[in-house]
Amino acid sequence: MPEEEFTGQAVEVAQVSFKYNSLKALDGLSLQVPRGVSFGLLGPNGAGKTTLIRLLVGLLRPGAGTIRILGQRPSRKMAHLIGYMPQLHSLYAELSIIQNVDFFARIYRLTDKAERARRVEAAIRLVDMWTRRNDAVQKLSGGMKQRVSLACAIVHNPPLLFLDEPTVGLDPELRVTFWEHFAGLTKQGATLIISSHTMDDAVHCDYLAFMRDGKVIARGSPGDLKQATGRPEATLEDAFLHFVQRGQQNAI
Amino acid sequence: MPSSISSSGGSRMPSSQAFTIAARVIQQLVRDRRTLALILVVPLVVMTLIGLSFPEGSVLDYIAPALLATLALFFSFLLAGISFLRERSQGTMERLMVSPVSRGDIVVGYLFGFFIFALTQTLIILLFTIYVLDVHYYGDLWQIFIFQIVVITGAVNLGIFTSTFARNEFQMVQFIPLIILPQVFLCGVLWPVEQMPDYLQWLSAILPLTYAVDGLRDIMLGGKSLIDVGIELAILAGFAVLISTLAALTLRRGAAD
Repeated sequence: MPEEEFTGQAVEVAQVSFKYNSLKALDGLSLQVPRGVSFGLLGPNGAGKTTLIRLLVGLLRPGAGTIRILGQRPSRKMAHLIGYMPQLHSLYAELSIIQNVDFFARIYRLTDKAERARRVEAAIRLVDMWTRRNDAVQKLSGGMKQRVSLACAIVHNPPLLFLDEPTVGLDPELRVTFWEHFAGLTKQGATLIISSHTMDDAVHCDYLAFMRDGKVIARGSPGDLKQATGRPEATLEDAFLHFVQRGQQNAI
Repeated sequence: MPSSISSSGGSRMPSSQAFTIAARVIQQLVRDRRTLALILVVPLVVMTLIGLSFPEGSVLDYIAPALLATLALFFSFLLAGISFLRERSQGTMERLMVSPVSRGDIVVGYLFGFFIFALTQTLIILLFTIYVLDVHYYGDLWQIFIFQIVVITGAVNLGIFTSTFARNEFQMVQFIPLIILPQVFLCGVLWPVEQMPDYLQWLSAILPLTYAVDGLRDIMLGGKSLIDVGIELAILAGFAVLISTLAALTLRRGAAD
């Protein structure tokens, strides 16, 4: 495919493989994500979810295959179009919430002072941490750090967001709040790629890709995936197991 | 979603983002009161002990320039190396690597940020050595200080560069004896380089502390000017530029580990 050709997909991954030394993390993986949806990467630990996200944001280079983000190769030139929430909290512990979010706003070249102040406040309010904005991050609980981490990832209003296990360690109430944020973001037109290993998250996504052993074993809406099992009462867990077993049968 | 962020702007030279990073490094250290206090107090304690341990003032006079150079290298290397490593171990480096900020801006930003603290430490040591330990010296105080600034610049960059090879604090600590101790013994701090075997003299010729010690001795003991030690200054400045370039080049590799 010529590089200029842009099909309008937010993410296009074609036949991508990646190895950590001799350990194969991704094995000829292909995936397409349309714009304006929340897209879940679901799979057990070690399925390659984090590796895939790190490739998509440009932290890693694929050993084989091609990756297009909004029609372009991941690079610094288009870095302002993406937001990234790593698995770790990834914050400056000594600094306050507002200092952290403001720092990333500046790094993303929000140079206009009034505009930056507005965006920083909006991002912190969105995760409901405004009243604690002057507290040092090291004093916060794990869930609160997650929320601040999300605020840092969205402060520049990126049209494409990569969230690596954003709901890990959140209590159920907060998890619901996070998913409300995510739904709000897609409503505004943003595309969200969210990795998770729990089916509690999966039900909230517009589309899902089930991942296992560095491959996508199934892709579709939660409803479609459940239907594929042929049983009306099937859960997403059932669907995942269904595709795992089918894959094993095909392998035999 | 509309995005009003421009991706244009000079990415070739250190941009405002380098200063954003520098400001954040300073903010972090200032908010960490205990570390800040240690940065200021430790050089004083060390210099007091060293000063008291010398039986004769004339010996201290001779060793002082080498000591000033060594401590500037050591403290700056340590401060920059450990702090830069933390940026990676806490995951914020990953965020920076995904952002539009250039690798050069990250290195320059850190250099500016640590520079303030390394400079403060060096100034404390210098003034303490001269006014409290009463070390006799020739040459101008400001010239000694300018020379030390060049030494610090190289040392901060060396710390940043070295930390890209360490994956955790333990590994970084192992680099301290590897990088610092050989320089103390091979660079003319304790005995003249000329008294060592040939092959060690060659080795000393590629170590930056050799030129720092030479230059500072020429100024403080020989009463020479910065222009007289121009060659040493140029070599140290060249080293700083080379090592910061290498640090920027190795950054991506380190972050993706």
